[in-house]
Amino acid sequence: MRHFRTLLAHELRSAALSWNTWAAGGLFLALMGGIHFFALIEASRAPSDRTPVESTLWFFWLPLLCVLPLLTMRTFAEERRSGTLAALLTTPASATAVVWAKFLSTWIVWVVFWLLFTLFPFLAVQRLATPSDARLGDPSILWGGLCFIAISGLLHVAIGILCSCVTRSSALAALLAFICLLAMTAAGGAMESLPIESWEWLGWLREPAAHLRTFGHLQDFAAGILDSRPIILYGTGTLLCLGLAVLSVEGQE
Amino acid sequence: MNEAAPLPEAAVVAEKLTKRYGSLTAVEDLSFSVAPGEIVGFLGPNGAGKSTTMRILSGTMSGTSGRATIWGVSVALDPAGAKRHLAYMPENNPLPEDMRVEEYLTLRARLKDVDPSRVGERVRKVMDDCDLTRRASGRLIGQLSKGFRQRVGIADALLAEPRVVILDEPTIGLDPHQILGIRDLIRSLRGKMAVLISSHILHEVEQVCDKVVIINRGRLVAQGRTEDLRRELLPEVSFTLVTRSDEAALLAACRTIEPAAFVTALPSADGWSTFRISLPTGSPARETLASALIAAGISLREIAEDRFGLEDIFLAATRRTPGESRRS
Repeated sequence: MRHFRTLLAHELRSAALSWNTWAAGGLFLALMGGIHFFALIEASRAPSDRTPVESTLWFFWLPLLCVLPLLTMRTFAEERRSGTLAALLTTPASATAVVWAKFLSTWIVWVVFWLLFTLFPFLAVQRLATPSDARLGDPSILWGGLCFIAISGLLHVAIGILCSCVTRSSALAALLAFICLLAMTAAGGAMESLPIESWEWLGWLREPAAHLRTFGHLQDFAAGILDSRPIILYGTGTLLCLGLAVLSVEGQE
Repeated sequence: MNEAAPLPEAAVVAEKLTKRYGSLTAVEDLSFSVAPGEIVGFLGPNGAGKSTTMRILSGTMSGTSGRATIWGVSVALDPAGAKRHLAYMPENNPLPEDMRVEEYLTLRARLKDVDPSRVGERVRKVMDDCDLTRRASGRLIGQLSKGFRQRVGIADALLAEPRVVILDEPTIGLDPHQILGIRDLIRSLRGKMAVLISSHILHEVEQVCDKVVIINRGRLVAQGRTEDLRRELLPEVSFTLVTRSDEAALLAACRTIEPAAFVTALPSADGWSTFRISLPTGSPARETLASALIAAGISLREIAEDRFGLEDIFLAATRRTPGESRRS
């Protein structure tokens, strides 16, 4: 535990001083700021069932695919390439402590990015809201959506960490993470859109499709519905990915 | 030093270590030991399996079979326990480029379980010992020269006052001044820590080490003190002499005092001839050769006994087939 705390503090400090984090943060804020800006414009043009915040959060997949791989790609791949991971493992610190420290620090950075995003709705409310625009300032959708992003982010970050563990190339790690996250985000939606009901031989896919409906989870959280199933899905998926990452680090020779 | 513990007979034990990569055998049945406080040179040609052995001993790589212990703790069964007694500096000494020397050493001290109240003191001590305080403490590691990076690696190895230090090519890429500094530093560890050091600079190893372990093609070919290996691997003494006499006269003079003596002609210049006279080790003729040659009318300009260094021992040992190897 002592090693974990030391490593976590080191990883957070490294993340704060890394140009990579600042570049990813800039890209994230530019993307989400732009999306929120267009969501506000769209909301001013025509009535909609969705608030601008809800519409913006609906695009969470964009930073997930474009920004998160930038955060996770260097965690292990770069250290494996330079040999500093092997040097780290010559100390009594365990591979588990190393993996969890890198995972948690990356997740914290990811959550901090999303907390910074709340500035956009806050500024919109400050500048644009009138008493009749109660929903523009409704925080429940924003915080519900952010809870989803924080919880699903555990698995998303763990996938990125695992991808970084299996290669020495940061670029390849980012590409692998992009593909895995795209597959995971799109899988539920794709399966939902398939006419599974009419294809008997695909009947076994109904259950997994119901569990993997990522956008459905976002909708539920934003609506304030707290369902334990996605929490268990993201929690167990995170543990599985991190377990594999530990095995990968321990097995590196 | 680490917490008080009974002194084991050997600080490092490698017993029938074997490492295979598919059909390639990198290390085979390798056995040797390092006593507490002893400095041992680990030698072998490129690709002999030195780094592989060191990585197995340090716990960063698992062996295919065999046993490795550090201060009596099995590296395979209790890697964390073994690492508490061990510091390992890998061959290319990987360091994070974006950290300052002092903060890197502080991080390493914490990870190596140095008492939190002593972290600052230990960091300052190793930086002083490795001559880093004045010129490198506040600099980014990425901006340091090769010599200073090596010093940072050695400082890191000494941080937690381990029982065993394994250094893979610690002087590679250093200039002569830096080599001297590192040599003195390693020498100062004698009696305090067991040091296993690999190097291609055989002169350095001879200067610093109490004994050497020589491997070739993954197998042990010789181990022991340099003097013992010299007797085992170089079973003759030789003299180089410069004379105007011919080879036949010289051989006849030598044979009067040592029938097993033989003479080899070496390249000559200026009308003088150069020869090498070889005698069996332990021959009494070694002490009377010069006077016997003069008495036989051989005109000598120079005569000197050839000193065989570790380089000759290394070449003789690595020319052996591994099957011939034996313990000195």
